Amino acid sequence: MISIWLSGLLARRLGRLLGTATGVALAVALLADLGAFLVSSSASMTAKAAASLPVDWQLQLSGGADAPAVTAAIGKATAYDRLETVGYADAEGFEAQAGGTVQTTGPGKAVGLAPSYRRNFPAQLRLLLGSLDGVLIAQQTAANLHVGVGDSVTIRRLSLPPVDVRVDGVIDLPNADSMFQAIGLLPGAAPQAPPDNVLLLPLDRWHRLFDPQAAGRPESVSIQFHIGIRHAGLPADPEAAYAQTTNSARNLEARIAGSGLLADNLAARLDGVRSDALYAKVLFLFLGAPGAVLAALLTIAVAASGSSRRRRDQALLRIRCATNLQIMSLAAIEAVSVAAAGIAIGWLLAGVLSAAVLHAAIFAPGMAIWLGVSALVGLIATAAALLVPALASARNLTVMQAAATVANLPTPLWQRIYLDAALLALSAILFWQSQNSGYQLVLAPEGVAASSVDYHAFLAPLSFWVGTGLLTMRLLGLSLGRGRNLLAQALRPVAGPLSGIVAASLARQRRRVTRGAVLLVVAFSFATSIALFDTTYNAQSRIDAELTNGADVTVTGTSAAPAGSMLSRLAAIPGVAAAQAMQHRFAYVGNDLQDLYGIDAGHIGEATRMSDAYFHNGDARATLAALAGRADGLLVSEETVHDFQLQPGDRINLRLLSLADHQYHVVPFTFIGVVREFPTAPKDSFLVANASYVADQTGSSAAEIALLRSSGDPAVVAQAARAVTASVPAMKVSDIGESLHLIESSLTAIDVAGLTHLELVFAILMAAGAGGVVFALDLVDRRRALILLSALGATHRQIGAFLWSEALLILTVGSVLGLAGGFAVAQMLVKLLTGVFDPPPQSLILPWGYLFLSLLSAAAVIGIAAIAAQIFSRRSAARGLREL
Amino acid sequence: MPEPLVEAIAAGRIYRRGGTSVPALGRATCRIFPGDRIALLGPSGSGKSTLLHLMAALDRPTLGEIAWPALGAAESLRPEKIALVFQVPSLLPFLNVIENVELPLLLGPAGQSARAAATGALDLLGLSELAEKLPDELSGGQAQRVAMARAIAGKPRLLLADEPTGQLDHATAEALLDKLLSHFAARDTAILIATHDASVAARMAKEWRMSHGILETAARIAPVP
Repeated sequence: MISIWLSGLLARRLGRLLGTATGVALAVALLADLGAFLVSSSASMTAKAAASLPVDWQLQLSGGADAPAVTAAIGKATAYDRLETVGYADAEGFEAQAGGTVQTTGPGKAVGLAPSYRRNFPAQLRLLLGSLDGVLIAQQTAANLHVGVGDSVTIRRLSLPPVDVRVDGVIDLPNADSMFQAIGLLPGAAPQAPPDNVLLLPLDRWHRLFDPQAAGRPESVSIQFHIGIRHAGLPADPEAAYAQTTNSARNLEARIAGSGLLADNLAARLDGVRSDALYAKVLFLFLGAPGAVLAALLTIAVAASGSSRRRRDQALLRIRCATNLQIMSLAAIEAVSVAAAGIAIGWLLAGVLSAAVLHAAIFAPGMAIWLGVSALVGLIATAAALLVPALASARNLTVMQAAATVANLPTPLWQRIYLDAALLALSAILFWQSQNSGYQLVLAPEGVAASSVDYHAFLAPLSFWVGTGLLTMRLLGLSLGRGRNLLAQALRPVAGPLSGIVAASLARQRRRVTRGAVLLVVAFSFATSIALFDTTYNAQSRIDAELTNGADVTVTGTSAAPAGSMLSRLAAIPGVAAAQAMQHRFAYVGNDLQDLYGIDAGHIGEATRMSDAYFHNGDARATLAALAGRADGLLVSEETVHDFQLQPGDRINLRLLSLADHQYHVVPFTFIGVVREFPTAPKDSFLVANASYVADQTGSSAAEIALLRSSGDPAVVAQAARAVTASVPAMKVSDIGESLHLIESSLTAIDVAGLTHLELVFAILMAAGAGGVVFALDLVDRRRALILLSALGATHRQIGAFLWSEALLILTVGSVLGLAGGFAVAQMLVKLLTGVFDPPPQSLILPWGYLFLSLLSAAAVIGIAAIAAQIFSRRSAARGLREL
Repeated sequence: MPEPLVEAIAAGRIYRRGGTSVPALGRATCRIFPGDRIALLGPSGSGKSTLLHLMAALDRPTLGEIAWPALGAAESLRPEKIALVFQVPSLLPFLNVIENVELPLLLGPAGQSARAAATGALDLLGLSELAEKLPDELSGGQAQRVAMARAIAGKPRLLLADEPTGQLDHATAEALLDKLLSHFAARDTAILIATHDASVAARMAKEWRMSHGILETAARIAPVP
C-alpha cells in the first residue's frame, strides 16, 4: 500500500511535492547559511583580533626574579615566537634648554628597549622625525620641552644625579595605554593614564643609567617581558581561544610562582571578541531569526497550499475504511519524502550561497551542529505542515467535512484568543520599556569592548512582526468576508462584468487568499526591514569611519610640521573635492589636559560630514553658525560640561601653549554649546574653537591636520597625498577605508555585510516564494476549477479576470502592508540598536532599488504562475476533465 | 430543410497514451437539427462523452471533421449557443448555487440579466431554496439538477447533457425531464442526452446508439412527446 501511495504521489503529485520541498529547502538553506555566518565570523573575529594586538602578554618581573627561569617557564606555558625585555624607570622629570629658556616637565618614564624590539613589535613605535636608533623622545614630551633631533635632554633620576642624553628621533607611541598599563591592578580598578612624558633609551644604556636607581629606589624601576604568542595555535572560536589563553596565563602564573605579574592583553582582547561574537548572535537573533521563522512559515504555507486536496484524498481513504494509523503512515511517507528532498536541495542551495556571499564552506569544521539543526527544522516544519493537519482532520472532521472543497473550518485558536492584538501590545510595551529605561543594546566605550544585551528587547520587533502578520490575516479575512461589494468595485477595472462573481469567489476562498497575502506581507516586511537596516547600517559605518578618520582622507602632522602648510598642494590633488585645515592643540581645563580642535566653522563641513548627532542640540548647522558668529566661542564635550558644571554663556579660561615663549597662558573663551563627537576627536573630553581665535591667542596659525573630501576613490587620493607629503616623515596619511577596516574588526561594526547580503538574497527568494510559489501551488490545487471555467465557455481574458484579480489583491496587500510593516520594524531595530550606531542615524535610508527588486521578483513569480494557469486552462477542456 | 446545428463527418477521436493509440470514437457521421430530441444510448466507455465533447467544441476530432453550420465558428459556441451538462461534478466549489447558474450568462453577452435568468432557471427546476448553498452542501442529485439549471438558463440552441439523471431516482428523473422538455417544447432548441436509462431515452424522439466507439444514428425515430 505504501509503495503504491508513494509511486502515485511521484506520478501524480510531483509538482506539489517539489513545490513543498522548495519551501523546506529555503528554511534549511537559510539556517545552514546563518550557521556558516556565525562560524566563519567567529573564526575571522578571533584571527583579526589576535593579529591586530601589538603585544600579547606583558610580564612584569618581581624584584629578584630569575629572568632565565621565567623565560623558560613562558616557553612551557605557551608557544611564543617573540619575546623582548623592556625596562621601565620613573624619572622626576625631563629638562631642556630652548631659545635661552629652560623647559621642565613633570614626572615621566624612561623606557629601555633592545634594538630588536621595533622589529618584533613594530606597531609600538611610529617614527616622526630622525632615526629609531638611539635615544627617542615622545612627540608630546618633545613639544613640551621644545626639543628636536640633535637636542640635549636632561633626565632627572630619582635620588641620583641627572644625566644628559642627545635626542636621535621623535616618535609617537600608538599603544601607550597598554604599553604603560599598571600590571596587577584588581579587576574594576580605574585605568591608569599613560605618562605625559616619555623618553626611550637603548636597553644597555638604560641599564647603565637606571640599575643604580633600582638599587636605591627599587619601587621606581621595573622590568617587563613583552611576549608575542604564536597565534596559529589559537582555536577559531573566540570563546575557546579566550579559554585557552586564560588557561595558559594561569599556567604561567603557577609556574613562576610569584616571580612576576602578567598582563594578558590577548585574553582581554579575546574577551572583547567574545562580546563581538555575542553581538554576532544578537544580529543573528534580530536579522536571522525572523528569516528562519519566515522560512518555516513559508514551508508550512507551501505544504498547506495542497491541504484541501490532501484532506479530500484522506477522506476518500477513510471512506474506503483506511484506519487513522494507515492514513497517518501515508501522510508520513509524503512528509519524509518532502523533507528529504527539501533538506538535500536546501544544503545544496546553502553551499552555493555561502560560497558566493560569505566565502565560507558549509561543510566546514563547526558546521555539523548547524547542518543538523537545519535538517531537524526542515523535518519538523514538514511534519507540522503535513502530519498535524492530517491528524487533526482524522480526529476532528467528519468524512463529509474533510471532503468539502470550501471547508467551513473553525476559527483558529489565535483569532479566538486575540493573539495578534496581544503580540502588538507586548511589542509596544517592550519597546516603550527599553526606550524609557535608557537601555542600549550594545555599549561600545573606548578600551575593552563590553556588551550589555537585554534579550527581552528582541521580542519587541519580533512580536510586532508576527503581530502585524496575524492582524493582517484577521483584517483581510474580515474585509473579504464583509466587504465583498467594495472589493467588487475595486476589481471592476480588472474583472469588468465578472467583478461581482470574482469578489464572491475570493471571499469564499478568503483563507487561501489571506494566507498568500499575509505570507507576502511578512516576507516583504522582512525584506524591507533587513534592507533598511542594512542600508542605514552601512551608511552609518561609513559615517563612523569618517568620524574616526576625520574625513575621506586625513593628513596628520605635528605643530612643528603642520599638515595645513601643505593644504594648497593637497587640495590640488586630482580627486580632492574639498580640503580644510584643522588645528589640533592641547589645552588645560583646570588641571586636565584636553584636545582642542581649531576649525573654520563656516567651511569645515565642506571637507567632512558635520552630522546633527555630533551636537547636543541635534542641529549641526545652527551650532556651527553660532561658533562662527562668536570669535571666542567654545564647544565643550558633554563630559567636561558635566565635570565643570558649565552653563551656556559661561566664561572658560583655558591654558594654551604660546609660540612666543613656549609657556602655557590663560586664554578666555565663552561656552556656547555642547559637542558630543567630532572628527578625529577622542570620545571623552575635547574642545572645539575657532581656529582664527586660537591662532591669534597663541601666535601660531599652524593647523596640524588637513581634511580632504574625495570625489573618487579615497585610497587613490590617499596614495597621492602620501607622495605629496613624502618629504615630511612626521606626516601621516590615512583614508576612510583603513578606518572602516579597523571598525569592522571592532564591536561597533562586526562584518555584518555577509549576513545582510545573505538575508537580502533570502528575503527576495522568500518574497518570490511567499507570493509566487504559494499562489502557483494554490492554482495547481484549483486546476479543476480553471478547466471547468474553460469548459463553460470562459475566454482567455475571462479566466484571466479570476487569476489576475487574486494575484493583484495578494500583491497589493502584501507589498503595501509589507513595506509599511518593514519600515516600522526597521525603525524599531535602529532604535533598539542605537548603541551600535556611532553616531546614531538621523533617519532611515530607503533602499529603493532593492525594494523595487523584491517587489518585482514577487510580482514576476506571481505573474508567471497566473500566465501558466491561463495557458493550462486553454488546453483541451475535455482532456482536462478526463484527467481530473 | 434548415441548416444542421452540428454536423459530424466521419469524425473520430484517438487518444495517445505513451506509445499506444486508444480509439475512443470511430468515424461518426451524424447531424443535429433545430428542435431535435435525441437520446444517445450505449454502455460505459462506448464513446458517448467523447462525441458530446466534440460536438460542444471542447475537443477536436483527430479524424474527419465537425462543423456547426447554423451556429458559427467553434470559438463562439459556448456559453450562449451550446450548453453542456457534464457527467462529472461540475459546479465551481467557491461559488454558491445562484452564482454557479449565472456564471455562464456573465461569461456571455447576457451580462445584465444574468441574475434574473439564473433565478428563473432555478425556479423552473424547483431549486430556488438551494440558491445560497455551496456545492459542497448539495447532494449529488441536487448538484446534477443545478448543473442542468445552469445549462438551460442561457437558452442555448443546443443542449448536450451527459448522463444528467445518473444520480437521480426515477421519479425525480422523470420530473426533471418533464420540466426540461416542456420548457423547450415551444422552442427549436435541440437536445441530445447521453444516458443508460431506457425510460429517459423513451422520452426522446430519436435514439442513437453507441458501441465500442461506433455510432448508429437510425436506431429509432419517434415523434416528440
